[in-house]
Parts: sequence; structure tokens; C-alpha cells
Amino acid sequence: MMGVKANDLIIYPLSENAVTIEFGNTINETAIGRVMAFDRQLTNKPFAGMYQTVPAYATLTVFFDPMEIVYQNELPGKSCFEKVSGYLKGLTDEHNPGLKVENDMITIPVCYGGKFGTDMEYFTETNRLTVDEVIRMHSESIYKVCMIGFIPGFTYLGGLNPALEIPRKDTPVKVMPGSVGIGGTQTGIYPLETPGGWQIIGRTPLRMFDARRQQPSLLKTGDRVKFEPINFSDFEQYRSEG
Amino acid sequence: MIRIKKAGLMTTIQDLGRRHYLSQGVPISGAMDDLSAQIANIALGNNANDAVIEFTQSGALFSTEADALLCLSGDGACLKAGTQRLPANRPLFVPSSVELHLENLPSGCRSYLAVAGGWDVPEVLGSRSTYITAKFGGVAGRCIKPNDLLKSTSAISAVTMAIGDGLRGDAINYPKWSIARDLFLPADRKTIRVTCGREFDWFDISSINTFFLQDYTLGRNSNRMGYQLDGQALIRSIQGELHSTAVTPGTIQVTNNGDLILLMADCQTTGGYPRIAQVAAVDLPLCAQLKPGDSINFKEISWKEAEKLYIHQKLDLRKLAFTIGQKHAIT
Repeated sequence: MMGVKANDLIIYPLSENAVTIEFGNTINETAIGRVMAFDRQLTNKPFAGMYQTVPAYATLTVFFDPMEIVYQNELPGKSCFEKVSGYLKGLTDEHNPGLKVENDMITIPVCYGGKFGTDMEYFTETNRLTVDEVIRMHSESIYKVCMIGFIPGFTYLGGLNPALEIPRKDTPVKVMPGSVGIGGTQTGIYPLETPGGWQIIGRTPLRMFDARRQQPSLLKTGDRVKFEPINFSDFEQYRSEG
Repeated sequence: MIRIKKAGLMTTIQDLGRRHYLSQGVPISGAMDDLSAQIANIALGNNANDAVIEFTQSGALFSTEADALLCLSGDGACLKAGTQRLPANRPLFVPSSVELHLENLPSGCRSYLAVAGGWDVPEVLGSRSTYITAKFGGVAGRCIKPNDLLKSTSAISAVTMAIGDGLRGDAINYPKWSIARDLFLPADRKTIRVTCGREFDWFDISSINTFFLQDYTLGRNSNRMGYQLDGQALIRSIQGELHSTAVTPGTIQVTNNGDLILLMADCQTTGGYPRIAQVAAVDLPLCAQLKPGDSINFKEISWKEAEKLYIHQKLDLRKLAFTIGQKHAIT
């Protein structure tokens, strides 16, 4: 495995057009904060040929067009990997891990239980909680978008109350768009109809992903998220307002 | 302009993919065999990124509703007008009201039909590629179906114009030259070159040997998102849990059962399985041509080698476009 050490980070090639920077091996607030801060730093100061970054729990992956890099010939190094990893290493030298990134706070209305929370009954039995307790615990925490993946706009939210942790289903079942689920130590919202393995406790009327919007995914990595319980008529109201 | 009569198994519009929304979980998509898609476009004087139709194995049938300048590339099928077999990898002038069909070839799985100016579907998030899961791109985010009318854009290059002018007439016509697609591919199409993945050393030595010495067979459960590769299961020597991180087409993941999954064009943007290897980008077109039951084996190359192969292929494609441009330069 070819990798380059850059201070306490490791930079390795993912493919011909992507390299990944690894910020340690553990998931914690610090690692996620560092990924976000470095992402911000790089996006503000991209190199010619770079076109996307994908932040995850403890990694930031940088996508680029190797031909652009060859033609621009701005970065020193014999290969595109050398050129890009050299540039990223240079940035890590200036990188300030303590740098605080201002994150947006977004409130997501959720109609819990009932016909939307298809696994609420199983959930309350398994975790020995009442429906009201589940709703209270789920909506009083402030979550952080740790990663987007799986399908467009699917967010992995960190910050779940440990009392709400529950294993995933063995076999994925069909899940409707807007479904709010819990899988293991994480919670999140399914933006599209898809097979899914998380336990579904409610549904948001918001369109979490819409290809017609300038920012198609309602949430982005690093955002802080709060859930607000709503009743069925509020849900219908949101829907009719589009 | 063509009218689809029979759509075939899985027929979609694709270009070279959607690159700018990976951070929002939107896959790259695009032609599975991007080499063939580019060759079909270059043969017509199009941009390499113009939209093409991707046919899977096929059985498709369509007719021209106006004079058309088309090019087919790939290994999935050959194009026929009645009993006349039309050559691939070169421009084809087809007059209006001709019925064409795709006949399966045993050699591969996917074929690409380009049209002068590229197929005209709206761009969604910067690409015309169809992404079925989220129902956007291509023709209304879905597979092409019977009775669809597909038009070309009016963005015709001077080279395309010159190619068309040289072939136009009352009958099907094509030039003597063709693009030697085979020269872009290795002679051994069963051996897929890979570089080591980040978690390569999570596997014990006998599993590494298995990986490089055994054949893997493409499983039934394979599609544009990923391939299931059937073979001896791999055993991990490091049991650590991987935190989800970015993956990309060509990434070979190993599931908790030790099974291999090769991620393809519509793959998710992040994944949590250890990555044993990454298929060299220049060999992904070979993978795109696999059918369930086909077997392959893996051979290790260095990252430097993979990058060099990729850059050389891109340069060769640019040279090819330049040569075709020169050949049709208006003098």
C-alpha cells in the first residue's frame, strides 16, 4: 500500500483520479472537526484540476482530473499522485486543527409513530421505552451530519442518545422518502424510496433531496440538525405547501 | 432522430458521468464502458462527453425518423439493417425510415450508440447520464422504452458536418476507415489489472494468494451499481472495523462473509467494507463487458503504472480525435 505521511496524517491514492487523507483511525468529534476544517481550507484554496471533495468520518477524499493536472503542470512531482499529495501535505502544514468551522443549524419536522413510524412498536418493545420517551429523546438531541452516502442526500447523523441505539434489520425492506430511522448508533433520513435496513420511527414532510435545487441535498456534511415533533395535520400542511 | 420499437434489457442514456455532486451522495454514473462511449463519439467528430445510448446485451430495435449519422461501439451487439451487418467503430450514414436492430455478440455485454451532435436529453446536475435509483438524468430518469423518440442536439461540429457531407445519400453509407478499438485494449481480456487497496494488508497471506491466483466469476446479482464476484471467500487477518469512507467505481470491497464486490458506475459514494484492491481505470471497460458467468482473474500493478496507463489512454484518445479532425479539415 502506497501512502504518504503528512504530519500525523496519511495520504493515499484511492484511484487514478482521487486521493484520500486519513485523519486517524477513530471516530470522534475532533476527527470530524478536522475533516471539516481541512475541507473548508482546501475548498477555499483548490488546485487546478480538483473538482470535488468527499468528507467522511475520519477521511477527506479529493477528486481531480489527472489530465488537467498534466496540462496545467503547476504542481511539482513526477506523478499526479505525487503532485496532489505534495499539495495537500503543504496545506496540512498550515492546517490548524483547532480551527472552528461555523456550521448551519437545520430543524427537520418529523411526524413520529403512527403509519409513518412503521417500526415504532418493535422499537418500544425492544428498547423498553414508551412512544413518548422515544420522541422526546430523539428530538431533544442536537445531531451532526458526519457523512453523506449510500444514496443521494442520505445523512449519517452522530449524537444519538445511547438509549435509542438499536440493531439494523437483517434484511432491508422498502422504505418511503422522508423516513427517519435508527441503525446502530446512528440516525438519519432516507431521501428516496429505497430498500433500507434501519428501524423507521417517523417521517419528515421535507424533500431531503431534489435534483432541481441548486443544492440538491437539504443537508450537507458538518450541518447541525434538530428534529421537531409535528402531528399528522402539520405534516399534511407542510406537504400541501410543497 | 430515432424511434425505439424494442428497448432491450436495460437501455439508458449515458455520458461520461456526473462529477460535481459526490459530496452530496450523488454517484458518478456514466457509461460503464467509457472507452467505447468515447470512441463512438470521436468517430463522429463529437465531444467525447456527448450523450450516447448504452445497450445491455440487447435485442433492441429502432428506426430512423430522419437522416441520421450514427456510430456503434462496444462488444455487446452488432448493428444490422435487415440481414446487412453494419460495421462498428466508424460513422454510419443511415437515411430516414430504415429499421435497425442490435444482434447479440457472445464477446461482451454493452454497446454504445452515438449520434452526430449527441443525444438530446436535459442536463441534470451537470450530466445527461441516467441514474435510475434517484430517477433523474437521461430520458425522465428511466430506461428507454418502446415508442420513445430520441433526438440529437443541434450542436454539430465542423468535423461532424464534413463527415456527414461525405456520406450523405439515398442509402446506408460508411467510410473505409474505422477506429481500431482493439488497440486500446489489452490482448488478454480475462486478466484485470488492479492496484492494492488501502485495506489490502487486512487479509492473510493465503487469502491474498487466492485473490491473485483464482478465477472469479461474475454472479447473477450484478448491475450498474456493482458486481458480485463468485469465488473462494477471503479471510481477514485484521478484524478492525472500518469507518465508512469514499469509494469509487473500480473499488473491490470484501464483505463480512469474505465475498467480493466490484463497484461500478452507479456505485454509492461511501462504503464501510475493507477495500482489497482498485481496478485500473483502463481495465474498467473490460469489466463493463462481462456477463454473468464470465470469469476473470486479477493481476497487481503499481499505482504509478495505473496512472501512466490512464494518462496514455487519454492522450491516445485526444490524438485520435485530432487525427479525425485533420482528415476532415475543410481545405
